[in-house]
Amino acid sequence: MTQYSSDSAAEQGLASCQSCGKLSTVSNKFCRRCRAPLHLRKPYNIQKTLALLITALMFYIPANLYPIMATEQLGMIESANIVEGVIALWEMGSQPIAMVVFIASVIVPVTKFIILFWLCYSVRFNTHIDAAERAVLYRITEFIGRWSMVDVFVVAILVALIQLGSLLNVRPGIAALTFAISVVLTMIAAMTFDPRLLWDKLESSDQQVTNKLNITKDN
Amino acid sequence: MSTKIACQHCDYLMSFPVLNPGQCALCSRCGHKISRLKVNAINNLMSYSLTGVILLILSLLFPFMSFTLSGNMMEITLWQAATELYSGPYKLLALGVFAFIVLFPAVILGFILLFLVSLNLFGHTFYNSTLLRLIFTLLPWSMAEVFFVAVLVSLIKLVTIAQIGIGLSFGAYLLFCLCYVKVLTLVDKHQFWYWMDLAKKS
Ligand SMILES: [Zn+2]
Ligand SMILES: [Zn+2]
Repeated sequence: MTQYSSDSAAEQGLASCQSCGKLSTVSNKFCRRCRAPLHLRKPYNIQKTLALLITALMFYIPANLYPIMATEQLGMIESANIVEGVIALWEMGSQPIAMVVFIASVIVPVTKFIILFWLCYSVRFNTHIDAAERAVLYRITEFIGRWSMVDVFVVAILVALIQLGSLLNVRPGIAALTFAISVVLTMIAAMTFDPRLLWDKLESSDQQVTNKLNITKDN
Repeated sequence: MSTKIACQHCDYLMSFPVLNPGQCALCSRCGHKISRLKVNAINNLMSYSLTGVILLILSLLFPFMSFTLSGNMMEITLWQAATELYSGPYKLLALGVFAFIVLFPAVILGFILLFLVSLNLFGHTFYNSTLLRLIFTLLPWSMAEVFFVAVLVSLIKLVTIAQIGIGLSFGAYLLFCLCYVKVLTLVDKHQFWYWMDLAKKS
């Protein structure tokens, strides 16, 4: 059994530049077009992805326990964490907005953690799960990551806007910082992961490929 | 060898796609979009990038939102929305927010414009590949459209407790977001590098 699938560029000793996409023989070491370093696969990407994910998780836990912002109204200070903020919105009667914040700050980060850990596990232990399905999961994490920043931006806006001294003012909570760091780290983790690993153990007979490139009308 | 290309998502080896406007190339193994070329892509990219940059600059100059409660009014600019956090441990967060919502989108649009204009005027220049590497590195870190959703969430959060006003900059930023999203649909890594190669050859 070879290390790469028989239809892959790596099997021919060709490395696709991660920066510009140019294909060169891997012995060149650097891409001739953009000077980025060449590798058949991103080096140590599973280890790096896992390290980033674990660090992100360490920032994500306090992000859920500590307040994301504090409201001071006539001397009374009220602080709320992410989930309490969502519940407050729901009770205020803005259910659709509560759903948006809940999806962006709870569902999206949790889904990202689960998918990325699962992808690393499936590559490391070579589980025979359909590569196409895992590729879809990877694309989902790549796409949704940035949307978790919604709540952090809401805090930035409210802190700037609501500054009426003792009447009403809003201050950021430490969770806004740790949550933002956690989102950034999971985004880097998703970029570090090499999705080509999902296809390396594929046997060419599994695939019914008719043509080499699929050009369609763009809509 | 330049007649071949590999899918960035599954490393499937395939022939180099040369597209006509309105076509799109997909990897036949994993379905990843290899490249897409919109009709009139270069002209639209230049005009939407230029308009986007101008609107973004305009959106920094005027009031963004205002908030009135029991006769007290507070008005902020977009600049303040990004940087009012700048104190104590939140300095890092303020810098991040500013970069994600103003700096990176501006740099991306500016570099796209610079790349296309210099490609048209001077052909291949020594800084083209650096510009392209920067554009595609920064793209995932620009969150203008996410910020706009956050603005809408804040508005709805506040309308029940106070009077909320929107300023001229709000409109400018909304229009900028529309231009930016339009640019995102036109930007294509494969095409940009291909255009650079064509300029190099000629
Ligand atoms: Zn390259
Ligand atoms: Zn593919």
